[in-house]
Amino acid sequence: MRSFDSGISYVVIRVAVLAVLLGNAGNSCSQENNTGEADLEPPVTELDRTHWGFEPLRSVKPPEVSDPNHWCRNEIDQFILQRLQNAGLSPAPPAPRAVLLRRVTYDLTGLPPTPEEVRAFEQDARPDAWSRVIDRLLDSPAYGERWAQHWLDVARYAETDGFEHDLVRPNAWRYRDWVIENLNRDLPWRDFVRYQIAGDMLTHEDPAAVLATGFLLCGPDMPDLNLYEERRHNVLSEMTSTTGSVFLGLQIGCAQCHHHKFDPVSQQDFFRLRAFFESTEWLKEQPLSVSADPGMSNEKAAFGRVISEGGKQATFLKIRGDFRRNGLKVAAAFPRVLSAAENSQSDGRDLTRVQLADWLSSTENAAALRVSANRIWLHHFGEGLVRTPGDFGTMGSVPSNCDLLDWFASQLPLRHWSQKELHRLILTSSTWQQSSVSDSGQEQDPENRLLWRMNRQRLDGEAIRDTLLYIGGRLNRQMGGPGVRPPLPVEIVSTLLKGQWEVTSDEAQHRRRSVYLFVRRNLRYPLFEVFDRPDTNASCPQRSRSTIAPQSLALMNSQLSFDAAENLTNRILREPDRSDEAAVISAWQWCYGRTPSESETIMALEFLTQSPAPDRDQRLHDLCLALINSNEFLYLD
Amino acid sequence: MSGFSNLINRSGFLRASAFGFGQIALTSMLAADDGKKTSAPMAIRSPHFAPAVSRVIFLFMHGGPSQVDLFDPKPVLARHHGKPLPESFGPVMTRRKVAANPLLGPIRRFRHCGESGLEISSFLPHISECADDLCVIRSCHGDSVNHPQSVYQMNTGSILMGKPSLGSWVAYGLGTENQDMPAFVVLPDPGGGIKGGPPAWGSGFLPAAYQGTPMRAGKHPVLHLAPAVDFPDDRQRRMLDLVRSLNRDHHQVRPYDSELEARIEASELAFRMQSAAPDIVDLSRETHDTRKLYGLDDSSTAEFGSRCLMARRMIERGIRFVQLYCGDTIGWDAHENVEKNHSALCLQSDKPVAGLLRDLKRRGLWDDTLVIWGGEFGRMPMSEQGVGRDHNPWGFSVWMSGGAVRGGLAYGATDDVGLRAVERPVHINDLHATILHLLGFDHQQLTWFHNGREERLTDVGGNVIHEVLA
Repeated sequence: MRSFDSGISYVVIRVAVLAVLLGNAGNSCSQENNTGEADLEPPVTELDRTHWGFEPLRSVKPPEVSDPNHWCRNEIDQFILQRLQNAGLSPAPPAPRAVLLRRVTYDLTGLPPTPEEVRAFEQDARPDAWSRVIDRLLDSPAYGERWAQHWLDVARYAETDGFEHDLVRPNAWRYRDWVIENLNRDLPWRDFVRYQIAGDMLTHEDPAAVLATGFLLCGPDMPDLNLYEERRHNVLSEMTSTTGSVFLGLQIGCAQCHHHKFDPVSQQDFFRLRAFFESTEWLKEQPLSVSADPGMSNEKAAFGRVISEGGKQATFLKIRGDFRRNGLKVAAAFPRVLSAAENSQSDGRDLTRVQLADWLSSTENAAALRVSANRIWLHHFGEGLVRTPGDFGTMGSVPSNCDLLDWFASQLPLRHWSQKELHRLILTSSTWQQSSVSDSGQEQDPENRLLWRMNRQRLDGEAIRDTLLYIGGRLNRQMGGPGVRPPLPVEIVSTLLKGQWEVTSDEAQHRRRSVYLFVRRNLRYPLFEVFDRPDTNASCPQRSRSTIAPQSLALMNSQLSFDAAENLTNRILREPDRSDEAAVISAWQWCYGRTPSESETIMALEFLTQSPAPDRDQRLHDLCLALINSNEFLYLD
Repeated sequence: MSGFSNLINRSGFLRASAFGFGQIALTSMLAADDGKKTSAPMAIRSPHFAPAVSRVIFLFMHGGPSQVDLFDPKPVLARHHGKPLPESFGPVMTRRKVAANPLLGPIRRFRHCGESGLEISSFLPHISECADDLCVIRSCHGDSVNHPQSVYQMNTGSILMGKPSLGSWVAYGLGTENQDMPAFVVLPDPGGGIKGGPPAWGSGFLPAAYQGTPMRAGKHPVLHLAPAVDFPDDRQRRMLDLVRSLNRDHHQVRPYDSELEARIEASELAFRMQSAAPDIVDLSRETHDTRKLYGLDDSSTAEFGSRCLMARRMIERGIRFVQLYCGDTIGWDAHENVEKNHSALCLQSDKPVAGLLRDLKRRGLWDDTLVIWGGEFGRMPMSEQGVGRDHNPWGFSVWMSGGAVRGGLAYGATDDVGLRAVERPVHINDLHATILHLLGFDHQQLTWFHNGREERLTDVGGNVIHEVLA
């Protein structure tokens, strides 16, 4: 249509097309008659419901497979092996123990194994040696710190408002701590979800549940917006969109201004979901009861960035998403395509936020179960069974293995909603324990969708920083509390408004784990940014993975790298065996989680004699710096 | 073109294209291994046909400059100042519901400039002097009234986040002539980040090697460009030699992992950037005359002038695509007061931009350099808050300059008030198709196979605007 010569027809056609896209052809030319949109809500058809992401969970039995090599250790392996066999592929051999230990230790804790842990596992001949490793790591507080970061990405967690002024939210960190603590204690997934939606109304179950509602308030906000109504509209709509994508894999935010262009989600669906949040109060941080925050019980009036239920407010559909244009009044209800036809209360009363929380975590909610299970899978394998983990709608990618997805999703309720049990299930499978070094399926399945080998994964910025502090013996393991601000390069700070990066005065705090660093919405910590940490303006279901020169510059030249090399050198120099060979072995163990091969030892010894550094200590320092800069340090086989 | 087609051949590409920037011994090893032609991702490649230009400077006016106050004179709008938009224009989609607001006449007077008589407003006295070198497209249009989406669309062709940017398509298509620098460099405004953020210069599904590398003025144009501690060059080089050996051995048993190759290249590039980057941004050796031409002697123009001068130094040294952002997080987003907002931004950018055009000419860079000036959208003819204007993606101006385009030309037109492109409309896809054409590419053939589809910058659109070509 762009080729039309006549400007007039071009414009007319464009407006008409726009109107069709808006699903609102009848009204687009008439400002007066806009309240009739509800009449035009497209029905959800049976055909719509047949999309895999909207269907109920199918009851799937693990397939019978011929397995003469006894490769299958659990049901996951049966699903995987079946597909591999159908494709004429076979699984990669199991990874060596040292590789497995490095892989699993990073996977569950975001930290590397110590040389002692590697040695212990390699020598552990007990049949349950692997299970013991998994239990040890799942019991470590570092587990919650690691897996919290995955969730905080999803929750678009930050400690400031964003926009121009980017003001600090003094108590936002309590939500981050709630996530860490409850992942560590394996709070049933069902409650993990429920409390984040309606924890303020469920404190009779758990007084701290109120802190979980910080989830709803993690998004950007512009308190200096002239119009309160507009601000309120923005926050509530953002909350609604995020809830839809995080818990349902439904890009319901697309339906804020018009019916979803591809999925059977109407604008009414959006505002019905928003109606659950309409009467929440959140403008000011709220005082916490002592029981919600036992750690602070001696202090008066701890505050939290949490939600409470305020006076009843009606929800109106906003015509074209414009907060000034009320359409019809809508009542709270679940998105039609994911719920049975009857989803309002039979007695005519409105559904409550607790009911939304219950529905989002119900065994009947297939979308919610699939999305959650897929996230767990994703963080173990580097890719989800569905490769668009935030979109299970018709524009999302198709699952690589539908049967496995549904079976795995069904395990969440069956295994008492224990996320740790799902970790165990994956980690004890032969699928996860495959070597990543194999090329047998390269031609046929270069993207490894069938999992004929393990995916190689790159450390993220947080794991890199934590590791550099850890191997140098400098990581401060203190847990919890307000975000920490280590010093930043001056050229970075100079782009901020004055006072936006007040360095934390206690130097020991600068060496805390990355999850405790202050999260400023308008400024990502440079090392994290360069290694693809998402901005916090929207939920991020999966980080991208770029490979760029500035990453190499950061590892080559940053103070963090030089400190790590120096501290690791000092650690090695303190060991009883002062020989070069012992130093090389130790450096390899700390950086790669394994002992060097003969040729590697020769190469390293040669370096220690030939490097231009002035003395042996500094040559060893340069060796450590080289290991930190190498690919093997950055990648998990 | 056949060699290039081979290169683009789907999954084979990355594997076949291993180990860029020459120098790395792995190349021969793997080439022998799979018997395919190998090529570095950054090696110089020929486009589809003889190109008119070989490099691009994109001056991105972040926030959306007002076409009706700069390059698109609207006497009718002046006459209707204070009146509502006539009903004949129909409903208007706007960001902030300004459709019913009174019209705001052009803020400044326009005058005919140069021999061509091209009309430009008094906001831009220096650029006005270059009128005969400007090819103003007055009928650009895009698809979103929001900043981030529009920033993405102007950069990637799509209002969605995460598609490859124009610069990365060019880097992919042409490689770089400078093996020490990335092919695509971005010079962000030090005042603050853009709305939409770094994905605006991302490489999307193209290999990360093609994404834009941000640089800034001063001794540290790239963060961590020099060691944080005293660390002599010979020690660093020896250390990195060991890294290279370690990486080579590591990669040898993982030959199919293209990411490992990419990282080896990135490390080598990082090393070379340490000396190349400071040299490129070092303006001290530029003559007094040149510095003055860009306004470096005046505090109001020095910052943007420095970046314009850096851009010239970059293309001179073989960087293919340089993108400068003019305008902080708010930039040209004149919701409240066009006069105030545009006065400040024009003051800061007018002289440097004119200086850049003149400098390109006198240095013989004119003929094969394309300069593009434009924002993510324009602004509405209706007023906002009295003397401001809301976003307008339905009709706005972008200009191109350089020996390969027709100077002194106003192409296409918006309606009488500057609301919509009505005469020879140029969608952003068309603009991109034209830019690629100038670089020697058929936009329908410059593709990358992704998720079952041959993706391209122009998606399913794009017509080359032949009338603007010189």
